[in-house]
Amino acid sequence: MNATIEAVRETLGLPASAISAPRPGELRAHVEPGALPDVADRLVAGLGARLASLFATDERVWNAVYALHQIWLLPRQRTFLRVTSRVDPAHPRFMSIAAKHPSANWFEREVVDTFGLVPVGHPNPTPVSLHDDWPAGEWTLRKDFPDDRQVTRVPGSFHPFRPVTGEGVFHVPVGPVHAGIIEPGHFRFGVAGEPVLYLQLRLFYVHKGTEKRFERLPWRHGIFLAESISGDTAVGHALAFAHAIERLIGCEPPPRARYLRVVLLELERIYNHVSDIGAIATDVAFSVPAAHAQLLRERLVSLQERLFGSRLLRGTVAIGGVKADLEAAGRDELLAHLGRLKADFESLVTLLIDSGSFTDRIDGTGVLSTEAARDLGVTGLAARASGLDEDLRRDHPHDAYDAFGFVVPVEEGGDVRARLMVRAREVEQSIGILRQALGALPDSPLLTPPPAELPAFSAALGWAEAWRGPCLHWVETDAYGALTRVKVTDPSFRNWPGLARAVPGNIIPDFPVINKSFNLSYSGNDR
Amino acid sequence: MFRILARSARTGIVTDPRPLAPRLQRGFPVIDFRRCTACGDCARACPTGAIQIGAADAASPGPSPGTTRTVSLAYGQCISCRECIPACPEGAVTMGSSFDLVAYTREQLVHRASFDLYPSGRATFRQEESVPGPSLAESATMLAARIRGRFGRSLHVRQVDAGSCNGCELEIAATTNPVFDLERFGIHFVASPRHADLLLVTGPVTRNMEIALRRTLEATPEPRVVVAVGACGCSGGIFGEGTYAALGGVDRVVPVDVYIPGCPPPPQAILAGLFVAMGIREARSRPEAPEAGATSA
Repeated sequence: MNATIEAVRETLGLPASAISAPRPGELRAHVEPGALPDVADRLVAGLGARLASLFATDERVWNAVYALHQIWLLPRQRTFLRVTSRVDPAHPRFMSIAAKHPSANWFEREVVDTFGLVPVGHPNPTPVSLHDDWPAGEWTLRKDFPDDRQVTRVPGSFHPFRPVTGEGVFHVPVGPVHAGIIEPGHFRFGVAGEPVLYLQLRLFYVHKGTEKRFERLPWRHGIFLAESISGDTAVGHALAFAHAIERLIGCEPPPRARYLRVVLLELERIYNHVSDIGAIATDVAFSVPAAHAQLLRERLVSLQERLFGSRLLRGTVAIGGVKADLEAAGRDELLAHLGRLKADFESLVTLLIDSGSFTDRIDGTGVLSTEAARDLGVTGLAARASGLDEDLRRDHPHDAYDAFGFVVPVEEGGDVRARLMVRAREVEQSIGILRQALGALPDSPLLTPPPAELPAFSAALGWAEAWRGPCLHWVETDAYGALTRVKVTDPSFRNWPGLARAVPGNIIPDFPVINKSFNLSYSGNDR
Repeated sequence: MFRILARSARTGIVTDPRPLAPRLQRGFPVIDFRRCTACGDCARACPTGAIQIGAADAASPGPSPGTTRTVSLAYGQCISCRECIPACPEGAVTMGSSFDLVAYTREQLVHRASFDLYPSGRATFRQEESVPGPSLAESATMLAARIRGRFGRSLHVRQVDAGSCNGCELEIAATTNPVFDLERFGIHFVASPRHADLLLVTGPVTRNMEIALRRTLEATPEPRVVVAVGACGCSGGIFGEGTYAALGGVDRVVPVDVYIPGCPPPPQAILAGLFVAMGIREARSRPEAPEAGATSA
């Protein structure tokens, strides 16, 4: 750990006292407000750092300042680094890094939307999360904004979409209510006939005030809110929240719980990947494999209901361990089921990629280049499909992942096919992980009971590599040990700009299949 | 092509002939009020406030005036987290076997009892309380009169996500998979509200979806039915009601005809709710108590 601190200190040119290591895998650095852009440049150039999250906190009551936090992933040092800088309430602004590091773009704009802290030097500091009828001067995550305030709508002002001009060039508006059984969001295509010139996203229709809600609920109930951040990632977000609280209180889940958490997270990965591959087939009207994929998914989730009491694995993760055990009979049943699933799934994928009419629609469609993916901060399976080799399960192992052998599939194409193949290969790896975990389930209790109260004035980061990508939860407590800030970073928030980048140049009928190949969560993005 | 045909032949028919048969392991919790002491431990364990301990009710005073207490469990808010079961010191809360509750009003989903409170602090069960509003049978008659038997053999459904976490969407989409295959019952999901008989709405309705939801309802021709799906659609669920971002249940914005609670309700429950809306199934708003001898785990 000392070598890591030294490497970071040297790169940043900071005094040793500015950097601390509160707990394993997590470094902290305090920097002067003016140093933020320089620190970001040094981290990226010197250590290959990737921005994992950026947010603000309101510490006016205790410290008379706001604070801005950047969470960087240092791949070589295998650690997270939180860079913190104070923001003077008399001058509510901070130095933007978005012009050089586009991955900070949406994050910094969300800080303006929710805290009213202005990023100086941001190339496009318009609202990203606020809708046009939200009045100026209402900052929802400030401490003096009560969560039940009824904010009046500002009349008029239709959203200023980027104009298009020219013969045969026009806008195609889609949403927020979509034609299928999917979540709401508005897409504005600028098209010249069929080809898309650009895509503008208007999201945050399902903003539910989740981060504010965490501050209101008792911390023990936060795990149920975490499960509802994105319904298809119930285990991923529950684990990230549980990890954050466990790191805060120094609670280590028992061995059996750590193994069962891996089982739950991999099952979630498999049912989503299988379903998504079927949905890609649906969107190119290849209905037989689509129906087969949905059958495989249904058989798995109904088995999950029988084994764990919930089809979507809700209520299985607890702070300090797990709530659902797996008996020997259930373990054998699950192993047998995985054997059948593996055979069926492999023949399904073969059927798809051997079909010329199918590959014709997915090859070279919706390409996201490695450079664009890296610059925009795209993460998770979308990043791995664009040639970025990153996976927290291997690089920053949580739960029992360091006990298992697996490879991280990476594809270079960046197109729909690459995202499909990453899914297909991850399912194979997940089945391998499950066999290792189920074959060596340790005997131990399921829960290390957490203490009744959280420590005062402390903060911790929790993470989990869920099926879509890394889920990050950063939690902080106040003087009474109550949660005063929970920052949730869903991989969708980092990947939507990547989708907007992958669509232009394709034709409108290919948009559904590109969208499905990313399958981003609106709810996880909007929170 | 031959491989596709061979694959289909090998798979055979996988559709469940009786998709509503209650085969799930764990359903909604049930409070045995006769064993309950109204201590309130379950209410404190409940993350959504589905279980409430009520104050004295002036209309039905206890042994001495103002010493009545009520305990209520609102299934519309219940997310089946099972926290209440181990929280109960009397073992009065157990896992029921039903998951497919359907009702016509929020009140019909509330299970309430009153208790006499003695000066010693002890509380004893007095009676189960009826909930205000129409009964299930009265509501069924009113809904049938409004739709005048127009649905029943065919129903066109427009799904509207007004703020959901997408858990309900996963389960609604699952009703179309080969196992549940809701099209065989004449139910189709359509792409426009103008083609729809019924809006299947998930929540909590957010501030940013309120206008879109109202407009979607206006675009739906009469007679139309609105079905609220999920704990959030029925009551706001874990996100609460009346926050700056989440207005709460669907009925805070548009009138709701049928409620399907659950977090999320499984496909079987969603099918049951659609059948109730079509008038071809009786609603049931209380879970069955677990069978005698069943464990409370």
